[in-house]
Amino acid sequence: MSLTNEEILQYAEKYIETNGEADVSDADCDTIEYLLENCEITIPTGNRFFVNVNCKNIRSHIINKRGRKYHDEIKNSPLGAGIANRTYTGFYDFGHTTTEWNSVIPLGISGLKKRITEYADKNKADEKKQKFYSQLIRVYDASLKFIKRSADIAKSQGKYEMAEGLFNLSENAPSNLFEAMQTSIIYYTLQQFFDGTILRTLGRLDSLFYPFFIREDEKTAEKLMLDFLKEIDSWNVQSNIPFAIGGTDQKGNCLINKLSYTILDVYEKAQTSNVKIHLLCSDNMPSDFIEKAFISVRNGNNSIVFMSDKKIIESLEKLGEEKEDAVDYHVVGCYECGGNGEITCSCNGKLNIPKALEYALNGGRDMITNELIGLENSGIFNTFEDLYCEFERQLVHLCNCVMKVTDLHEMHYGKIHFAPIISGTYTSALENGRDIYCDYGAKYNDSSVNGLGIATAVDSLAAIRKAVFEDKILTLDEFVEILKSNWNGKEPLRLLIKNKFPKFGIGDEKTDAIAKSIVDTLSDAISGKPNVKGGKYRLGMFSINWRWEFGARTAASADGRLSGEPISQNTGASFGADKEGATAHLISATTIDASKTPNGAIVDLDLHSSAVRGKNGLNTLVSTLKTYFDMGGFAIHYNILDTEVLKDAKINPEKYPNLQVRLCGWNVLFSSLSEKEKDEFIMRSMR
Amino acid sequence: MKGLVSGIKRMEIHDGDGLRTTVFLKGCPLKCLWCHNPESISFEKQIGFYENKCMHCGICGGIKNEKTAETCPAEAIVLYGKEYTTDELLDIIMQDENFFKNSGGGVTFSGGECLMQTDFVTELATKLTKNGISIYIDTCGFVKYEVFERIIPYTDKFLYDIKAIDSDVHKKCTGQDNKLILDNLKRLSENDCKIEIRYPLVKGYNDGECDKIGAFLSNLKGITKIKVLQYHSYAASRYKALNMENTLPDTETTFSDIENAVRTLKSYGLNAVNGMADD
Repeated sequence: MSLTNEEILQYAEKYIETNGEADVSDADCDTIEYLLENCEITIPTGNRFFVNVNCKNIRSHIINKRGRKYHDEIKNSPLGAGIANRTYTGFYDFGHTTTEWNSVIPLGISGLKKRITEYADKNKADEKKQKFYSQLIRVYDASLKFIKRSADIAKSQGKYEMAEGLFNLSENAPSNLFEAMQTSIIYYTLQQFFDGTILRTLGRLDSLFYPFFIREDEKTAEKLMLDFLKEIDSWNVQSNIPFAIGGTDQKGNCLINKLSYTILDVYEKAQTSNVKIHLLCSDNMPSDFIEKAFISVRNGNNSIVFMSDKKIIESLEKLGEEKEDAVDYHVVGCYECGGNGEITCSCNGKLNIPKALEYALNGGRDMITNELIGLENSGIFNTFEDLYCEFERQLVHLCNCVMKVTDLHEMHYGKIHFAPIISGTYTSALENGRDIYCDYGAKYNDSSVNGLGIATAVDSLAAIRKAVFEDKILTLDEFVEILKSNWNGKEPLRLLIKNKFPKFGIGDEKTDAIAKSIVDTLSDAISGKPNVKGGKYRLGMFSINWRWEFGARTAASADGRLSGEPISQNTGASFGADKEGATAHLISATTIDASKTPNGAIVDLDLHSSAVRGKNGLNTLVSTLKTYFDMGGFAIHYNILDTEVLKDAKINPEKYPNLQVRLCGWNVLFSSLSEKEKDEFIMRSMR
Repeated sequence: MKGLVSGIKRMEIHDGDGLRTTVFLKGCPLKCLWCHNPESISFEKQIGFYENKCMHCGICGGIKNEKTAETCPAEAIVLYGKEYTTDELLDIIMQDENFFKNSGGGVTFSGGECLMQTDFVTELATKLTKNGISIYIDTCGFVKYEVFERIIPYTDKFLYDIKAIDSDVHKKCTGQDNKLILDNLKRLSENDCKIEIRYPLVKGYNDGECDKIGAFLSNLKGITKIKVLQYHSYAASRYKALNMENTLPDTETTFSDIENAVRTLKSYGLNAVNGMADD
């Protein structure tokens, strides 16, 4: 008899403390095994491949409650004030992982279990490793039984195709495309809901499924792919379900194959809103394939992130990863990359770059609360260079704070989260005989810091340089008082700066040089620095929708931004600042050295629908992408906006049930946005 | 040498092939009723004032000139017409060089009538050609043929406006006779120039010219395309800001009007396309 949700929750509560078990690994094995044996299994009518379970949030509930204790301690420490005013935050990251799909799909769950057993046999003398292997075997055995139980239920409900596949997969590796797809979904379910480690990519699907795909006839394969996309779309997961296509092999050959084309065809037909594609673009990618992807984007299926294969590989190698691992990278979440064998933890730390300037200008104090969070200073700057040096000093200090906060969280993984299912797929974890979270067993156990609001900081520094040190319109002290007063009574000056001063995003070399310098400083302070897991820190430059939350606690800035307004998005210009158009915007963005941002640097390009119409419009999209990547860009996504459509959709949402916009790293239905966010998109479309 | 420029638009896709930087030069010999770039008609600098944007901050002291256009925070006072040397413009244009190369784009000189600033355009075109940049000339054709002779060596394509074949219609719509325009077009064609014709379709004004345009062009060689453009009245606020008499016709060109014209032109064997749709 299956357990109800309430019974499952009661059970889980017991395991928040380890319920008398010697350590968290035993407690977590108990829980995972119990859930696999007792959760309720249902099969939604539309599902072709796999079942649904009722224990979706149980493991994350346990993890969050355990983690919360340490997080609260850190919030109450001297570093807490900087967290509270969103100068920086640091956290655990169980949310941005991949599995080693290259093992999972060919081996299946049963093959993974066999492989674990082989490692156990090879390492009999090592007691600690033996314990790890036996825990994994226990959980994988329970997983295979769970697959068998799912098969029985599928059969009893007349889902014979599903049942047959599951019966086979409970003992064998996948034997055809249908079972390979089942394996993908089964593994997702196991890791996401039982392991409690959030899985943020289904891997390079065109390469993974290809050996199975070529054995099917075209029509069957297409229908399978369509049903597969629809089933994963129905999970309705926050921030979308990503998978990748393309990339290159170890010899540099482009990995686009016939299945890649089929996937794009099917994606266009499926009309999904939760499926997201990372398109890994190499220089030798066929041009008709890129065109095909853009036709999809232009038709409103815009959940495609275009990523530069060579820049990603370069950035991972620069971080010290072996070439082979760097080439076989994965992309998790929005656009964060990691090498093969790497746990990226791509969303640990967030650093509010404009705050470093706020502290430089205000003696280390928050301009809104007057708390001392940065470093104290004299406040006297005779030249712009003096001020910039002080900004850098504050920035480096904040880098150290954000890494400290992250360390203070990550040192507790051993007491928070044992992850046997994902660990069982990592070759390095098996070699090392150590869990990837509890025991930092992966080949690369990295942590990340993301710099937020770079354009806001650059525009503010450029504004001070011009207004105070070049044009001498006002003194620095006067400027600081204006910012503290939130531009009170100074609207003309605010608009003059906002409308007429040079900005990041117009291809102005002098302004862009500040952006380059900031990223260099951040990279020196962060990338490659050791974390507490035996790994390294990695820099990313994206601010996604965090920019609202961090902006809300950021004082007025010298670029004309009002106190509390969002800071700039990702690696691009502030909204409205890219007045010279997309080419200039991309020229500015590529002054940043993206080989120093392995955790991702992304530009959001908004284009009006009329600019991408027809053959020349398609040429526009293809050539901007090619040029951006030639110039060293990392990743880009496109919003094709039509003002009239957006305005009408705001008033008559019922007319546009599937109108999607790219919020930042993922797509959302326009109707689900707040009124403020809708207005922002309408404004963006009008430029 | 300096030229007077009314605007520069980067990443333009409607003024020729690929991604282009369009340079709008100030001054035009015609006075088309439907002109959508009224700030480009006069050969002088002009100040526009957008009353709706004015926040009454008083910074301009009520004076609207070049200086206050620079300092007006709300962008209510706008200067139309900025002087550039050829090198200054070259620097701006060359920033997008990589985009031009990857897209098959380049520079389009437009206006106004760009060929009225012949020396400036020729000097800049020489420099651009040395840098391997493609040059398109968007022209109304109302200049002496000697001017064309000077620019032909640097021009990859002419975007040539034809508004009417009937002389009276042309005079009524543009203020000038069209003999020079049609003669120049014939000579360009005879000189093996590549020419894309632009036909702005303004219902009730020159839509009756369609057949005549088709017949005229069908005898010419080198016409790569004829693009039928939609008339719109977006420029009304600029006429007001510039204190110019608004001559914009109170009419509308619909998608199907253009489709009809395209069909007619195609019947003359021309590669006609709808400017509102795919090209």
